[in-house]
Amino acid sequence: MIDILFYLLLLFLIITAFFMVFTKDLSNSVITLPLFGAILVIIFVILQAPGVALAAAIMTVGLTTAFFVITINKTEY
Amino acid sequence: MSRLNERFKKLYKIGLVITFAIFLFFLFYDIHNLDSDGKRYLSEHYISEGVQETGATNLVASVLYDYRAFDTLGEATVILTAATILAFLVPITKATMFGTTFKSIVNQTITLIIPFLAVLGAYLLLFGHLSPGGGFVGGVVLSVIPILLTITYSVDFSEYIFKPAQKKLVENIGAIGFVLLGLLGVFTGSNFLASGQAPFGTGSAGEVFSAGLIPYLNLMIGLKVGAGLAIIFNSLIKEK
Amino acid sequence: MEIPYVVVIILFCLGMYTIITKKNLIKIVIGFTIVESSLILLLMLVGYKPDGTAPILDKGYEIVVDPIPQALALTTIVIGGSVTAVMLAVVIKIHKRYRTLNIDEIRKLRG
Repeated sequence: MIDILFYLLLLFLIITAFFMVFTKDLSNSVITLPLFGAILVIIFVILQAPGVALAAAIMTVGLTTAFFVITINKTEY
Repeated sequence: MSRLNERFKKLYKIGLVITFAIFLFFLFYDIHNLDSDGKRYLSEHYISEGVQETGATNLVASVLYDYRAFDTLGEATVILTAATILAFLVPITKATMFGTTFKSIVNQTITLIIPFLAVLGAYLLLFGHLSPGGGFVGGVVLSVIPILLTITYSVDFSEYIFKPAQKKLVENIGAIGFVLLGLLGVFTGSNFLASGQAPFGTGSAGEVFSAGLIPYLNLMIGLKVGAGLAIIFNSLIKEK
Repeated sequence: MEIPYVVVIILFCLGMYTIITKKNLIKIVIGFTIVESSLILLLMLVGYKPDGTAPILDKGYEIVVDPIPQALALTTIVIGGSVTAVMLAVVIKIHKRYRTLNIDEIRKLRG
């Protein structure tokens, strides 16, 4: 059961990564980034790494997305 | 002709990436074959002897702050360098903010959330040698507090609560305290940044005050990472 | 454990493709983020053992996941976040100077 879930999550990871690269709109691409990070966090928990999952949940999903949003806000007007 | 040239350039880059992928595939195939029944003596030693040698039940913390503490010192230096570069890039100007202001629901909710965030960060910092978490994660959670204040209220209010000079002072306390705690090992007749080998006594594993120097090193790294990330965020949002 | 390594290769090469071919500077920084995530996933896969427990030992366990790649990945995540912040600050500076984020136009403006 957990194997099927693991492979499904890997598939979703690839789909979100391709969507993030190949969309035309930049806002879509930046908003998909926390989704990518959240799937990665669940994969880390399945791979028995709780400390790394905590760090990735806060850093990749939270702060990096905030940095990107601020950059978009500063650069287009 | 120029369109053909463009097309050729794009195909050239795609071919480069595919060649790289095939190379990586063969490399990983070998690593995978090597990996499946290989024995890793270093990690087996850490797993079987780590709790007795360092007194910390979280083996990741014992690798980070005892066996390989020099790497953590280098990582702290990288964060200090990043904060310095950002402070150098951004001149001191009047801060500009987003166009919209939030309703009072958002402001009240943020005010209610902040004490829980502080408790969560302090727990992750102080129990880093017993449970998942540790200095890095606790510091990042603590740095979320000034970032939330900056986003919901304004840069001016956030810098009125947590002044930039105070944040720089906290970051420097973290950096210097890490080195001074490392020198404590030298003064007691052991190596630099030694906590398991030094004669402090590791205590009984599983209690809060155990594991030698590891809780204090956790605290210093947490202060340093939290203050550094708060400085980085405020520098980024103040850039025009 | 054959398929997850293929996923790592696909993510790494997707990030490299983004860095090489895309024109927008913010998208290039996103490519750097994808490459970094794939490397962290590779570290976790190298350290994983089937049926292992997380490396937090309050009782004696038989099979334990390798703790060294996890310590490396923990530092990689925090360093990657601060390096991304520095790159984005440089992007804002470039936009302030040239008024565009397209690489070709920036190259043309410089002459």
